[in-house]
Amino acid sequence: MANPPNRALLPAGLQDVLAPDAAHEAAMVEHLLGTFATWGYQRVKPPLVEFEHSLLEGAGAAMSNETFRLMDPVSQSMIGIRTDMTLQIARIAASRLKEDPRPLRLSYAGDVLRVRGSQLRPERQFVQVGGELIGAAGPAADTEVIAMAVRALRAIGLDHLSVDLTFPTLISSLYQALEIGGEQEERLRSALDSKDRNAVREALADASDAKRLFLALLEATGPAEAGLAILDNAALPQGPRKMVDHLVDVASRLRDAVPNLALTLDPVEYRGFEYHTGIGFTIYRNGTRGEIGAGGRYLAGSGFGERATEPATGFTLFLDTIIRSLRAPQAPPQVYAPYGMSLEAMEKLRADGTVVVAGLEPEDDPEADARHLGCQQIIKDGVPRNLAAEGSG
Amino acid sequence: MDGSTATMNSQEPLVLAVPKGRILKEAQPLIEAAGILPELDFNDLDSRKLRFATNIPHLEIIRVRSFDVATFVAFGAAHLAIAGNDVIDEFNFAEIYTPLDLNIGHCRLSVAATKDLIASENPTRWSHVRVATKYPLTTRRHFASQGVQAECIKLNGAMELAPALGLCRRMVDLVSTGATLKANGLIEVEKIAQISSRLIVNRSAMKTRPTDTQYWIRAFSDAVENNRASAAA
Repeated sequence: MANPPNRALLPAGLQDVLAPDAAHEAAMVEHLLGTFATWGYQRVKPPLVEFEHSLLEGAGAAMSNETFRLMDPVSQSMIGIRTDMTLQIARIAASRLKEDPRPLRLSYAGDVLRVRGSQLRPERQFVQVGGELIGAAGPAADTEVIAMAVRALRAIGLDHLSVDLTFPTLISSLYQALEIGGEQEERLRSALDSKDRNAVREALADASDAKRLFLALLEATGPAEAGLAILDNAALPQGPRKMVDHLVDVASRLRDAVPNLALTLDPVEYRGFEYHTGIGFTIYRNGTRGEIGAGGRYLAGSGFGERATEPATGFTLFLDTIIRSLRAPQAPPQVYAPYGMSLEAMEKLRADGTVVVAGLEPEDDPEADARHLGCQQIIKDGVPRNLAAEGSG
Repeated sequence: MDGSTATMNSQEPLVLAVPKGRILKEAQPLIEAAGILPELDFNDLDSRKLRFATNIPHLEIIRVRSFDVATFVAFGAAHLAIAGNDVIDEFNFAEIYTPLDLNIGHCRLSVAATKDLIASENPTRWSHVRVATKYPLTTRRHFASQGVQAECIKLNGAMELAPALGLCRRMVDLVSTGATLKANGLIEVEKIAQISSRLIVNRSAMKTRPTDTQYWIRAFSDAVENNRASAAA
């Protein structure tokens, strides 16, 4: 006979966050949003579910396979649970906030749900925290969101951060300018994806100019200092040249805006930037598996007639990765208030931020109860006193 | 710049994962040519140790099963590794870069079947085939591209027995000389991929320790070039 299912078992990729982690997570979210607020980013809160057609419109289509759907019995329409919040923010900007002055600065935090976890993030539900800057196209806007993200992360104690800059549309615009297509494009793409110089040479064996160019782009992948010099000298067609100049501009602005930031370039990266139209970036931390955050430039507001599309940039931070990288939170010391203590006396201590745990029944041995509950102190004669070490009394 | 300065600024050791067995023998000269001298135990195949120090401060070598190499790198437990593209393609981790073909460990991933079956069947009529393999994803992908649904039976060894004993119609495995196939009455039906070993790099490591990782890619690249040159001479 089958055993009855254990009620503690959760579906794959879901978990109960316990103490002290849950409080730590919430505090980090507030801290990050607090930093964004000081840069003028106002918090908005979109709903957990939306009509499927609105959630998956345009750029959202890329997440179709990751979206949980349900039937809304009220409207008789399909609704989807959000897999990402950026596009919700873009929708808000283009609809309810369309008359607000530009550039518009918005921030958000919330849980998202995905059908599948990824290899590195098996969690299917996780918290995203982010900021979006809508209605500004220049390099100063790109710089602002990256600088703000890094400074907010540093403020919660994350060190050894590095930012990888990319221009996801650069490669496809080069294909167009150099008339590379079909099977050759496929071979080149896979060579660039694996960062394999020899495979790039083979894919472009019969096109020496293109070969030199793509090898230079691959060569520029790595520390920004060296990479920028290579990009400056590369013989690029006009369209791609403008993209690269933008990248170079943002990189040099970032060096001033965020001192001591490790900056790398990856002009051939595009994976994970499916709906981006300009500079993309990924935030890593030396010693942490996976990405801390990612973002980039996109077009907000597709599907809204009159204000068709506007330039936007923003980023999302992955809170689970951030929490993993931070030192474990220190639980605050707790004071035990034996049964019968006046509420007023306890309130006086709590007003200073002291954690006061009240006894609910008359105790035989208040100190033993205090220890049992994990308290370090006990209130005696109205004053918190350290508990004697166990066994010594 | 030499190897010691390449890793000097980083607090954590850089970990290079190498596969046990077939590939390791061919990889050893390359590792040495790249300037890495593992501690003596590394060359002792009976050693129970799995982690080895090298002459480079902050560079460690770990020895793991060839199928696990890619997993170690994808999850950042190792930063660099040597792995066959059979394993790389099977796992298809987005977190792995494969910047260098090391030109060693050459063989092919092939489909094989018994002589009798081949004579009596017509695969163009198939909608489904049962295949014994260590490579279920690659196999499914290969047959799917031909419009055939492959039901994979995952075996970890003695693959050659499966078709002969009627467990399945096909097997997919690495073939180098074809001697094992022949000895078991099997014929190579088609080649899925040409295999060689690659130097692979974890994506985060490439981004957060670009100087270290690029130094080693270059060192191995030079070693491969030297190998090629001396083979041609």
